[in-house]
Amino acid sequence: MSGEHEPSVVLDLSRRKAATAVRNSLVEARHVAAPYLTMTRIALARLGRDRLARAGALVLACLTLVAVFADLLASDRPVACRWHGTLYVLPDVTHPPSLADVDMARMRRERASGDWVVPPLVAHGPTEPGDPSDVLLSPLTDGHPLGTDSSGRDLFARVVHGARTALGLGLLASLVLVAIGVTLGGLAGFAGGVVDSLVARVVESFTAIPTLVLVLVVGALVPHPTTGTLLWTIALTRWTELARLVRAEVLRGLGEDYVTAARALGASPARVLVRHVMPNAIGPAIVAAAFGVASVVLLEAAVDFLRVGSPDAMPSWGEAMGEARMYVGAWWLVVFPGVALLSTLVSLHLVGEAARDALDPKLREASLELGGGS
Amino acid sequence: MLRYALRRVLWAIPTLLATSLVLFLVTTLAPDPPPGHDDPVAEEARRARFVDLPRFVNTSPQDVESKAAAAVKAVAAGGVDQARGARVLRHLGGAALPYVLPMLEALPPEARGRVAVALAPVALRMGVGKQEELLQPESAALFWSRFWDDRALDFTRTAVDRAVVRLVEHGTDLREADLVALDTYALPEVIRAMITARDHVVLERLTRIAHHATERGPVIESDSDDAHVRRAVASWEEWWFVHGTDLVSLDGANRAIAVVTETRYGKWLRRAASGELGVSAVDGEPIVEKLRERTPMTVLLCSLSMLFSWCAAVPLGAIGAWRRGKPFDWVSSGAMFLLYATPTFAVAELLRRLTSDHAVGAARVTLAIVALSVGSVATLSRWQRAAMLDVVRQDFVRTAHAKGLSAWRVAVVHALRNALMPTVTLAGLHLPVVLGGAFVVEEVFGLPGLGFETVRAIEAHDAAWLMAVILACAVVVTLGLITSDVLHGALDPRVREVLWRRQGGGPA
Repeated sequence: MSGEHEPSVVLDLSRRKAATAVRNSLVEARHVAAPYLTMTRIALARLGRDRLARAGALVLACLTLVAVFADLLASDRPVACRWHGTLYVLPDVTHPPSLADVDMARMRRERASGDWVVPPLVAHGPTEPGDPSDVLLSPLTDGHPLGTDSSGRDLFARVVHGARTALGLGLLASLVLVAIGVTLGGLAGFAGGVVDSLVARVVESFTAIPTLVLVLVVGALVPHPTTGTLLWTIALTRWTELARLVRAEVLRGLGEDYVTAARALGASPARVLVRHVMPNAIGPAIVAAAFGVASVVLLEAAVDFLRVGSPDAMPSWGEAMGEARMYVGAWWLVVFPGVALLSTLVSLHLVGEAARDALDPKLREASLELGGGS
Repeated sequence: MLRYALRRVLWAIPTLLATSLVLFLVTTLAPDPPPGHDDPVAEEARRARFVDLPRFVNTSPQDVESKAAAAVKAVAAGGVDQARGARVLRHLGGAALPYVLPMLEALPPEARGRVAVALAPVALRMGVGKQEELLQPESAALFWSRFWDDRALDFTRTAVDRAVVRLVEHGTDLREADLVALDTYALPEVIRAMITARDHVVLERLTRIAHHATERGPVIESDSDDAHVRRAVASWEEWWFVHGTDLVSLDGANRAIAVVTETRYGKWLRRAASGELGVSAVDGEPIVEKLRERTPMTVLLCSLSMLFSWCAAVPLGAIGAWRRGKPFDWVSSGAMFLLYATPTFAVAELLRRLTSDHAVGAARVTLAIVALSVGSVATLSRWQRAAMLDVVRQDFVRTAHAKGLSAWRVAVVHALRNALMPTVTLAGLHLPVVLGGAFVVEEVFGLPGLGFETVRAIEAHDAAWLMAVILACAVVVTLGLITSDVLHGALDPRVREVLWRRQGGGPA
């Protein structure tokens, strides 16, 4: 038995060797032939050249850093401290039970010898209610760099933690909506027939309901609305645009020659979809996701703007701007959250547009043509 | 062309059905009224919202026959459920007699006596028998068996129908007494006659019969005014919609249909489709009246804003694309980009701050329209610019130039005409955004439109109004989508052909 096997093993080995040799030569050829350009590389290179997109990405990166390190910038707990002989690092993250009701003010009052405190940039948390005397302070008074709102909460902390709310919600919601949109859109385009018209009807029916109105109504009808409710409502109503886009891309891809070629080579439908059709539909989906984040951020701000005084004290730019409607003199309530919101939206749109242009082969030729002319 | 339009309208029906399904699922998010055991008010609240019915498929729809059988079983068995069963029998009344009385014979004597006594209130309502006779188990059983031997022929639908027609034609006390003697068995015909009858004297008799049989509900006096009569008839209609299935028997086709209609969704959809949107929880006003009151402001804002944005956006986008790369293009697309990213509520808030709080209505409406238009102008002009940019690169534009046509003629007649089409289609998709924006703008400027009322309703958790508003928005947006599709088809014959092929209809 073993004797019979040996030749085939040898054959197998030699075949593998040959395959490796071919692959190596191909890799070498790629290195020799100057830059090997994939679609992604071209798009990234073009994106990097776009000055506005670079500016937008920079702003977004800063906002993300602010969102991630919001607790270092504004909090009613220290960044690190030594309290009654124990060392605590980032109590906002670790939530040690022994510091449960100790805030910065108390630490300053009751500090024992040998204790030390590294304070955050602004020693106020976003939900910490201030004294009655702290209500509606204008900027740069009493340790509130951007002033306070109508309940005496520090506006700087609200804006900084609002970035966390806006970007976190935007990213999560668009992840969910991209997942739903790509799946259903791809399925509709690929399966066609009954599935296609079914998905088309669902997409149309969701399109018929204004998202803002639906989100407001769901928030009012659910007994205990949370951030999760908002996230799911937005994601479950906003996927339709993406599904429509992915469906169109898949349909276009199915008509291409390389798909016919793959089919002729005997590729299974699943393989055709995953390896040949979807990679070309993913680019537009990513672009749509960037705009999706923008629309979620905008929607969240609008909802909180209208739902002023909602019981959950989640810090939000829209809510702060909504408060300004009642206190006309308090310009800082409009300006600072407004600037934060506008810069987020503008940079998201800048990056999204640049990405779309970078991925669009038609526009690439046009820009080459323009670039050559001037 | 007409066939294309009709086709498009027909295709909106499944879409509207799917939308209604989504909206129905949203209504189920609101907490249900808690089950109140033996508390008639809580029971009524649950029934009015059809909480006891299954959501989508009712595999065993209940009718008078099954309910009566269950009640008789409970009473016959005695024990804890006896009182409840007796109450159900009293509620079902005459409508249950054709099923209950034949059943009596098969029961053991003791149980037969219990059921017969439980039926006593029905007999007293119908005005037959004597109280002492009805409350003794043996004599009551004997009474009911004799009653059914004598009167079974009266309990047929044709007999009731004839009696009601006679009463409507010429009402006498005797004919009214005949119908009272049939109790709830006569109600289907009585309620139907109530809806069509116009004569107040007839209505008085009909509502009196219904009131007598159900022991509830308004009675119309012959000298009541029209508004009162309408309200009373509507209230009877509503009651019949909720409780009617208790009092009729389902057979054959009706039973098959009831599998779908006797569900929460079926009931909700029928109510919504007939414009029965309930009453507001805030001030008890009918929702339909409120909608009629608030809609004009929202429609005014949306339509004027759409008109204005179209007039501004089409030239802006077209000129920008025609003079691409020139200063005009740079400035306009830069500005449009900024405005595109600016939230409507921020624009509205800033504009409101520019005016004093005592500004007159017209000024506020104008500013609201401007605030609402800013976003639309930006969006539409960017679409228009992209569409125009696509067209001006095409060969026929170059040909037109080569033919020596004036630049103006090429731009407007050749390029713009073709570049308008994508914008027309997208305008339909833009409608929901404008509607949502109108809600925000109304709230900021304090204009009494749908959005203003909706924010109040959200504060008060007025579910009826909220659902009505979403429904209204969905219908309007669907109509907008159809209009823009039909318009697109009218402008571009290729679209019609594509739709034709995709749906497998028409000549290949």
